[in-house]
Amino acid sequence: MAKELTTKSYIDHHLTNLTCGKTPEGWTCDPHYVDQMGFWAFHVDSLFWSIFLGGLFILLFRMAMPKSVSADSTPTGLQNFVEMSIEFVEDNVQSLFGSVKNKLIAPLALTVFVWILLMNLMDLIPVDFIPVLAGHIAYFLVGGPEHAWINSPESFYFKVVPTTDPNITLGMALAIFVLTIYYSIKVKGPKAFVAELTLHPFGKWMIPVNFILEMVNFIAKPISLGLRLFGNLYAGEMIFILIALMLFFSSIPIGMVGFGLHLVWALFHILIVALQAFIFMALTIAYLAMAHETEEH
Amino acid sequence: MNINATLLAQAVVMIVFVAICWKYVYPPILEVMQEREKKISDGLEAAKKADDSLEEAKLAFDKEMDQAKTEAAEILKKANARASQIVGDASSKAEEEAEKIMTSASTSIENETNKAKEELRQQMSEIIIDTTQKILGDEISPEKHDAILKKAAEDL
Repeated sequence: MAKELTTKSYIDHHLTNLTCGKTPEGWTCDPHYVDQMGFWAFHVDSLFWSIFLGGLFILLFRMAMPKSVSADSTPTGLQNFVEMSIEFVEDNVQSLFGSVKNKLIAPLALTVFVWILLMNLMDLIPVDFIPVLAGHIAYFLVGGPEHAWINSPESFYFKVVPTTDPNITLGMALAIFVLTIYYSIKVKGPKAFVAELTLHPFGKWMIPVNFILEMVNFIAKPISLGLRLFGNLYAGEMIFILIALMLFFSSIPIGMVGFGLHLVWALFHILIVALQAFIFMALTIAYLAMAHETEEH
Repeated sequence: MNINATLLAQAVVMIVFVAICWKYVYPPILEVMQEREKKISDGLEAAKKADDSLEEAKLAFDKEMDQAKTEAAEILKKANARASQIVGDASSKAEEEAEKIMTSASTSIENETNKAKEELRQQMSEIIIDTTQKILGDEISPEKHDAILKKAAEDL
């Protein structure tokens, strides 16, 4: 990037995903052409970290329970952590789901919780570490003057925290939404499901009004679920970026204050990281529990 | 905020991960945990049962012990009574025996005395007859005067 580093360019750079998509001139990963890519573009960085951390989750929990582990052996180390997580999830499922038995809910909740927790935790890695490292690696591997998006390590866009990307959070919410619809139809039957969306609050003579009201209610759930996580993490990331600016673009005393602030915010952010992961999990369980409820009105 | 195909990709990725977790990660862990939970609760129950049976055994032991003590005391008492009875019996028997011996002794003494007396009487009468014969000659023969002699002997 030949442009001079300014506050605005620094923030923009940090908030832009590495987007790959098809432009009229062919495939490119230059985020400057995002407008020409249309819908069929992928945030490669978000997806990379999302898949990497999801794989880490699977590997971690799989490794914690090798075949040799039986009920007789004393749990140690990683196994303790894994069992603790599962117990935590089981407790939550039990309290929100009650008597309904669905073997998918607990693994779903566990995946959601640990995965989101891992993705959120990426926020605690200082904002420039991974992007700069990734920039150098990418420049070394594929960089060159012929690609505008990687003609120098600094021109490479790389956003690390997947949960600060609305596509990721809404994508997860979408998957849960699909599951909700699937279980609603499976448990209640298609007739009851449609009836639930059309026959109240006003009875059968006001079906269009009922449908609009219930639809808003129905669709608001996944959107709020996705946007809540995104908003919290995006704001957290934003504050880290602003604190980082204090170090880069001001005097040494202010930079020192920024150093302290960074520590304070990081400590506070640990709370948000865990809390948001928990909220997402709890709401996932709650929405699926609602799908299993056969209400009587 | 660009919404694009990343959203769909993430939804698919999520379904894949959830499926993997559901099929391969969650069940083995839960199985081990539940099995262990069951083992622990079984163990606790067994311990409680063992405690209970120990308590029961203690009670039974105490009861048996008490009974044994009472029995022992009773046996001792009986033995004492029997011993004193035996001693008493033996002494009374001895006394009886002694008395019997005494009685028989005195009877035999009396018999002997009577016998001696009879003999003496006999001899005396013979001596008297002899003497009388000597004095009176042959006038008195024992055959003739037997009756008289006998009467005399009886009178003696």
